[in-house]
Amino acid sequence: MALDSSIAELLRAENLCLNFGGLKAVQNFTFGLPLGALYGLIGPNGAGKTTVFNLLTGVYRADSGGIRLAGANLVGRKPHEITAAGIARTFQNIRLFPDLSVLDNVCLAGQLRGSQRLSGTVLRTAHQRNEEAAIRARCLDLLALFDLRDRAEALATSLSYGHQRYLEIVRALATEPKVLLLDEPAAGLNSREKRALAQSIRDIRDRFGLAILLIDHDMNLVMEICERIAVLDYGVTIAQGTPAEVQNDPKVIAAYLGCSEPPK
Amino acid sequence: MILKNSHPTAGATRSPQALLPAGGFRAPWISFGPYFVGCALAAGLYFTLPVAIGPYYSRIVIDVGIAMILAVSLNIVSGMTGQFSIGHAGFMALGGYTAGMITYYGSLLWWGTAARHGGFLGVGDWFFVAACMVGGLVAAAAGYVVGLPSLRLRGDYLAIVTLGFGEILRVVLQQTNKVMENAATVRASTLRDWWPPPVGGAVGFDGIPKYTNLFWVGAFLTITVVAAYRIKQSSIGRAMLAVREDEIAAQAMGVDIAKTKVRAFVLAALFAGMAGGLLAHEPGLIISPKDAGFQRSFEYLIMTVLGGRGSISGVMLAAAILTALPEFLRDFEQYRLIVYALLLIVMMLLRPQGLFGIHEIWQIWRRRGKAEA
Repeated sequence: MALDSSIAELLRAENLCLNFGGLKAVQNFTFGLPLGALYGLIGPNGAGKTTVFNLLTGVYRADSGGIRLAGANLVGRKPHEITAAGIARTFQNIRLFPDLSVLDNVCLAGQLRGSQRLSGTVLRTAHQRNEEAAIRARCLDLLALFDLRDRAEALATSLSYGHQRYLEIVRALATEPKVLLLDEPAAGLNSREKRALAQSIRDIRDRFGLAILLIDHDMNLVMEICERIAVLDYGVTIAQGTPAEVQNDPKVIAAYLGCSEPPK
Repeated sequence: MILKNSHPTAGATRSPQALLPAGGFRAPWISFGPYFVGCALAAGLYFTLPVAIGPYYSRIVIDVGIAMILAVSLNIVSGMTGQFSIGHAGFMALGGYTAGMITYYGSLLWWGTAARHGGFLGVGDWFFVAACMVGGLVAAAAGYVVGLPSLRLRGDYLAIVTLGFGEILRVVLQQTNKVMENAATVRASTLRDWWPPPVGGAVGFDGIPKYTNLFWVGAFLTITVVAAYRIKQSSIGRAMLAVREDEIAAQAMGVDIAKTKVRAFVLAALFAGMAGGLLAHEPGLIISPKDAGFQRSFEYLIMTVLGGRGSISGVMLAAAILTALPEFLRDFEQYRLIVYALLLIVMMLLRPQGLFGIHEIWQIWRRRGKAEA
């Protein structure tokens, strides 16, 4: 891999492998995400999509291979260090903090780049108060972007399902990421909500200048908004390319629909 | 839902606090004011309460104050951070024995007698406060060691480790040497006489100067409560709550789980150790190995469960009720544990989240007001 192309790509995964005992969950996953890109990751159930996210965010440690964010190595770093380095994610099965308010859910992520110390907290120094107020203000503004501001004091679990999905995205954005990983953001939304989500995802990318990698089972959504798509099946990358290329790839059709004889 | 067209850094939502100048005369008042007010109130109690309600009830108020410190500190680790700890009395006893050793043997060496030295806020008082602080620090060091397994263990397994800490400490304290009676013995002692430490073994550590009074309990309670409340309202506290709610999500949002958990254990042990210092110096009470044991830890755990996980005011109320009630029901002393157990069962059935759940008392009022409006 030439040096210049790895700098052009914000996030680079190189030959990632992960085995769970005898199960090869991810094999030789190679992927590049340029700045400002909106790419998709699809595949049948159990193909290893979420496992790839867990590798990228440090929940699992890859058996081999490399992950680089803007040139910095991320393999072996702890999840919170990777978030601080600039990769934020949402979860497939919503993982909000149920007993915290909507605002506190976002503030928790928004405090990542703060510099509060225990001594300053116990003495409530001017620095601590100003920083806490700034975090609050910034997070309220983020919530306002998604029409969630008037629910800021409500418990996270009291939101509707669709709003909870948005809150997950707001929370991830509050960490000021360079790369946003969305794990099935459209799951459980109706078709009108999905259209709105598609628009929102594009808007988020443009407004925050992020690169976004998206997992979803809704092919209309993925094909509509993603510029490039990687297809996983049993941990193997069976295709990569533009939506049109991927849609017509016989291996992809075989993986999704099955076929009478294995493709060459 | 489409993105609204306002800039994310628009300043319209700044709270007025952020607009205040960073320094000025207000800053030290905001920092130290609550501590100062708390200590002033404690001094008021010290001079008025014994006159108003007599020594017996004053003594109960002291007991309530110490129980509050322990319950609020346990609440940091088990209520806010969600790490199940039933070794809290162990930290208390460790701090108490440490502080007691310092004041007892220190007094013997310097003043030739272990009696109280100096009046209110006299030199003896400050020696005692310093000893309590050292006791807190020693307990905090133990909290660090006991907190480390919490990085790998969860729930029941962590509970067993913390339980083990308290029980081991209790048994070790039972094996300690007899207390040295006077200054001459201490001066004549060799290093061998100090291991195991001469703190009285199974009968308890008798002879510690009795410095604890309403003022000092109030002062330490103020420090504990103000610090705990400020932590709860800060980024550090939010990280603790997030670890309690969902560790995976917390670390994905950038929370250092290991640091947060260990910090909770250390803080809880620090305050518990200082409370132990107060207990060891409480008039009419002899600290003994059983104070480190499971039963005492369990009492504080009940207070936090009853008060609500994370609710500082709720836990304080529970500590007050559970400490004062047995005193007023002396005749039914033998049924106390039965009542505790029944109370817990009833609570679990009716209000599993505790008296106030995760809220403070005044937040409940506000919510009620909102619901009616």
